[in-house]
Amino acid sequence: MSDTTITESHDAEAIPPGYDDGEDHIGLEHHTSTGLSNTKLAMWLFLGSECLLFGGLISTYMLYRNRQSDQLGPDQLWDIPFTSATSFVLLMSSLTMVMSVSAAKRKDERGTKLWLTVTALLGGLFLAGQVYEFTTFYREGLGYTTSLFSSSFYTLTGFHGVHVAVGIVMLLSLVAMLVRGKLVGDKAETVEMIGLYWHFVDVVWIVIFTLVYLIPA
Amino acid sequence: MAIIERPTETSALAGGGGLAVTPSSSYGNFRRPVQTTGWKSWAFTVDHKKIGIMYGVVAMVFFFVGGLEALLIRLQLAQADGTILSADKYNQMFTMHATTMVFLFVMPMAAAFANYMMPLQIGARDVAFPRLNALSLWLFVFGGIFINTSWILGGAADGGWFMYAPNSSVPFSPTNGVDFWVLGLLITGVASQVGAINLIVTALNMRAPGMKLMRMPIFTWMALVVQFLLLFAIPVITVALFLLMFQRNFGATFFSVEAGADPLLWQHLFWLFGHPEVYILVLPAFGIISEVLPTFSRKPLFGYPFVVFSGAAIGFVGFGVWAHHMFAAGLGPISVAVFSVATMAIAVPTGVKIINWTLTMWGGKLWFTTAMLFAIGLIVQFTIGGLSGVTHAVAPSDTQQTDTYYIVAHFHYVIFGGAVLGLFAGIYYWWPKVFGKMLNENWGRANFWFMIIGMNMTFGPMHILGLQGQPRRMYIWTENRAGEGFFDLAFWNLVSSIGAFVLGFGALLFLVNVWVSRKNPPAPADPWDARSLEWITSSPPKEYNFARIPTVHTLDEFFHRKYEDVGDADQHDYKQVATGEEVIQLEEKLADKHIHLPSPSYWPLVLAFSFPVLAYGVIYSTLLIIAGAAIAVLALFGWALEPPTADDSEFDPPAPDGDQPSKELAVSV
Amino acid sequence: MSRNARIGLALGVGALAAGCAENAPQDTFQPAGPNAQQIQDLQVPVFILAGIVGVIVLTFVAIIIVKFRDKGQAIPDQAHGKPTLEIVLTIIPALILIGVAIPTVGTIMALNDTEGTECVVNVTGQQWWWEIDYPVQDGCGSGITEPIVTSGQMVIPVGTEVLVRGTSRDVIHSWWIPRLNGKRDMVPGRVQTNKLEADEPGIYFGQCTEFCGLSHANMRMEVIAMTPDDFEAWKAGQIKPYEAPAAGTLAAAGEQTFIAQCSRCHQVNGLEDADGAPIVSRPDLSVYSGAAPNLSWLMTRNTFAGAAFDLLTPECYADVWYAPSEVVGEKYLEGVTPDCLNSVQLREWLRNAPAMKPMYTDPTKLEETDGLVRGMPNLALSEDQIDELVAYLLERK
Repeated sequence: MSDTTITESHDAEAIPPGYDDGEDHIGLEHHTSTGLSNTKLAMWLFLGSECLLFGGLISTYMLYRNRQSDQLGPDQLWDIPFTSATSFVLLMSSLTMVMSVSAAKRKDERGTKLWLTVTALLGGLFLAGQVYEFTTFYREGLGYTTSLFSSSFYTLTGFHGVHVAVGIVMLLSLVAMLVRGKLVGDKAETVEMIGLYWHFVDVVWIVIFTLVYLIPA
Repeated sequence: MAIIERPTETSALAGGGGLAVTPSSSYGNFRRPVQTTGWKSWAFTVDHKKIGIMYGVVAMVFFFVGGLEALLIRLQLAQADGTILSADKYNQMFTMHATTMVFLFVMPMAAAFANYMMPLQIGARDVAFPRLNALSLWLFVFGGIFINTSWILGGAADGGWFMYAPNSSVPFSPTNGVDFWVLGLLITGVASQVGAINLIVTALNMRAPGMKLMRMPIFTWMALVVQFLLLFAIPVITVALFLLMFQRNFGATFFSVEAGADPLLWQHLFWLFGHPEVYILVLPAFGIISEVLPTFSRKPLFGYPFVVFSGAAIGFVGFGVWAHHMFAAGLGPISVAVFSVATMAIAVPTGVKIINWTLTMWGGKLWFTTAMLFAIGLIVQFTIGGLSGVTHAVAPSDTQQTDTYYIVAHFHYVIFGGAVLGLFAGIYYWWPKVFGKMLNENWGRANFWFMIIGMNMTFGPMHILGLQGQPRRMYIWTENRAGEGFFDLAFWNLVSSIGAFVLGFGALLFLVNVWVSRKNPPAPADPWDARSLEWITSSPPKEYNFARIPTVHTLDEFFHRKYEDVGDADQHDYKQVATGEEVIQLEEKLADKHIHLPSPSYWPLVLAFSFPVLAYGVIYSTLLIIAGAAIAVLALFGWALEPPTADDSEFDPPAPDGDQPSKELAVSV
Repeated sequence: MSRNARIGLALGVGALAAGCAENAPQDTFQPAGPNAQQIQDLQVPVFILAGIVGVIVLTFVAIIIVKFRDKGQAIPDQAHGKPTLEIVLTIIPALILIGVAIPTVGTIMALNDTEGTECVVNVTGQQWWWEIDYPVQDGCGSGITEPIVTSGQMVIPVGTEVLVRGTSRDVIHSWWIPRLNGKRDMVPGRVQTNKLEADEPGIYFGQCTEFCGLSHANMRMEVIAMTPDDFEAWKAGQIKPYEAPAAGTLAAAGEQTFIAQCSRCHQVNGLEDADGAPIVSRPDLSVYSGAAPNLSWLMTRNTFAGAAFDLLTPECYADVWYAPSEVVGEKYLEGVTPDCLNSVQLREWLRNAPAMKPMYTDPTKLEETDGLVRGMPNLALSEDQIDELVAYLLERK
């Protein structure tokens, strides 16, 4: 992140240039005590709290991962190659998200919209993969209430999936607002903020993929 | 000078991409509300001061609801084999009493103060995200109402406020009460979470020039620590609540032992939230009296950096002691030993504060206003509560104490004697600033003394009751376990019950005071000769708070503008060089020419409304889930597409002399 | 400390002690066994220390309020703090707490040490009573040769380290006999332990101390410690063969009523049906937690229904429960005689149990538990049937 130089508090006597100019500013898009914009700081804080949300869900899964029924567990169900492919898709979507942020910073609106759309599509592809995977598990006998393992698994991945879905909605809404010229404020920052969210969702998936799929029970 | 100048087209989106929002491009046919008077100016407001007041009023209502629940409990326990409440009603009563007091009174009352005072104390005009602030308020209000509708919809939750599994699952709690509890707390949890993000950004990003972190008023510091605690604790209880909701409503088996579940999972998740929660409850009160004591001692807070760091330390270590609520649960000796020692450790930063407060008063010039009485009351009562807490930290002793009335005594001394007394100190202290009137000091003293006497009569005997073997959560107690002699457990139960009514009466005296004081003459801007920035405003403050954002040179900025040290090097002699009014007038002379304020909005209220709809849907009907979700999506989009400040055209044209505030739009919806 | 201060402290402590109940049966400061004593040895100094700290702080506050009230003095010195003083005042409590922490950890470890176990008793909590069973073992005096199953009252020999191994069949309960040890939660799906040892014979009171639902307040228990000889006699009484009532007596009619109305849930060892086949109760078919109290030797205990009600009349109760320790075992072993039976309470229970103790036994409201009850239902027995049952039950000892 480029603008994280936190302007630690000013010398008592010196007032930052241009501030006490008789103009008042509420704080958005203008001088902030830390140098980080309000929205970006808010997103970081939100993501910090999300760490604990997913931490709780992951802990529950790790506690219950071996409490299966009918021998329906990871060994029988997981299709690692398939899930690796969908994980790769999600990982790529983070790359395209970076491209989008970069385009926004260059004020390349067409590029921004393009890469945002691609990110959303890749996210959608990931979700489609999840849906396919879960319907397969279901057909093989792993329902939501089948066992503690299944409930914990579906709850954890379900929460993640909802986060991805909300992310896709935000991405597409952003594209729509850009198209209709309705985005208020610093566009690059808004794109970057949604990018932060999207990367977080991706990182959570990497953790889930590792702990749930790759590490043997 | 134009104090509030309506934004022009170019300045509407301060610093934005120059994109003007015209009425034709605002969302649908909804024109945003712009009223400045009447009920609509409250319902759609994003002004942190109005929001703070609403938080406080609603919290006070719930205080009396919870108090009524407590009185019924004490009536039932006044005698052996009581018949006032059935076992079922009693179990609902103690569950809802605690839930109401913790989540619907103390937390929102602290939020009232944080909302109202934090921007003023840091020299800001509002919080970072004003509409999000309104959302927090309305989520709290709707969540609180939602949870209380359970009383008439089949029975309230009856599993105790920490709702242990598996007792909370459907076979053991067949009514919808627990569902109301779960969903209601999820709603209020979102309110707290969102509020935490808002206030942290506000405190970190919107301080006046010159206000370094170590010059922030201490209340703002404590409120900031609390927001961090909320930020990290709420997600954990959210997970627990979702797991319980999925268990009860969708057949999951997270807490079903037959399926192989571990009931202790709930306890760990709950207390990981639950322990930081108690610091969330008490730290705002600590912050308040850290303001009140210096003002009425006419000296600065003793050891401000120590108070700041000990507050942060309490917050941090507070996440590491949760299992001291589980000493009897079978954790194993090593875990018990670790948590026992950690709990003793956290007594140290807490004790530091008591030292700092007493040393603040030492050498001072003590003025015993009602606010000061409450603040001193906190020191006394919290010391008692804190010391009983230290006795719980000794785990083997705790295995005798836990789940008895001794614990009930402890937490009431720290929550009532700590958090509530501190909140009342804040109410009396800041009332003139917020409402522009003084509260009557004589009624205030009566309010204080009845509450203190009532409090000690109610909760003092509970130490004895608990140590002599009366467990908690018992809808009746029996003679043959009450011991013998005049001071047997029957005697103390009766004293405690009488004390509860004395306490209730004392609380009512507060309402009497409010009523009696309503026709008082206007209060001065600086009635207490106070020390911090929020007093450099009129009483009540104007909508824009400060005529000019003040520049801060020191801690206790306001005090130092009024008093100068004219003594020699090590001799201090403080002479008053300006009155509070003069300082304020100087600021008004240098007022900012253009002040942009965020505009009211419907969307926070609409979005907040969708939550209880969704929640009723989970309990009763999938159709309502869909309806709630639809309203939520609509509100989210409306919100996202609406600029923070209303467009020019939403307002009436300015009056000819340019000095009138904008009028309501005659045809607004 | 000045003379006045010392007097004040003595008066204060005296007032505190005087303000307490005498003989509170669940008093946590009246240890009657080594485990409770270890806790006592730790907690008394800590409480005294806390009291002293409290008095110091409150006295200091009182002095300040008087000495520094506004008497017209000038604006005081705006002292911001004295870091050295602060640090010293932080280190002192920290050192005190370290001093408390060390013996605390020692006591935690000691209380957890079960090497010296001489007798194992299993405890199972369910809504809203305790099942107590003695597995076959060499300990517990001369040994247990066949399992003993009882409820509500646990009998142990004095001076013997008893290990309670407990669990629950439904929600979390907690086993607490204050005069013998701290409490331990009884968690379904886990087995947790609690050491009990009594120095003297006597009856030690306890209550369930983890909220467990509707009748949590009505879930009690007692531990009866007796001399080794008395304990042997008690054991013998729990495993002797079943004696059917004499033919033609009210008790014999009661036996038939019992078989018809009660035996599907309540086990009486040795009871046989008309064909001579032993009757094995199947409470799991009617009760959600799957068990009901074993009534084989009901009258060797003196409480029932989760130790919530008495089998003894008030006079007999006083005679047994407050007997001096030399004779308490002997009196307990007499059991409930027809003269001492509290027939009011027992009959009321048989007449309409849910009216006496709140439980979930209304068939119209048992959907969530698939029709299984939680507690004893109202069997709509006639007074004659109750007469018969009381007569029959009186012989269960």
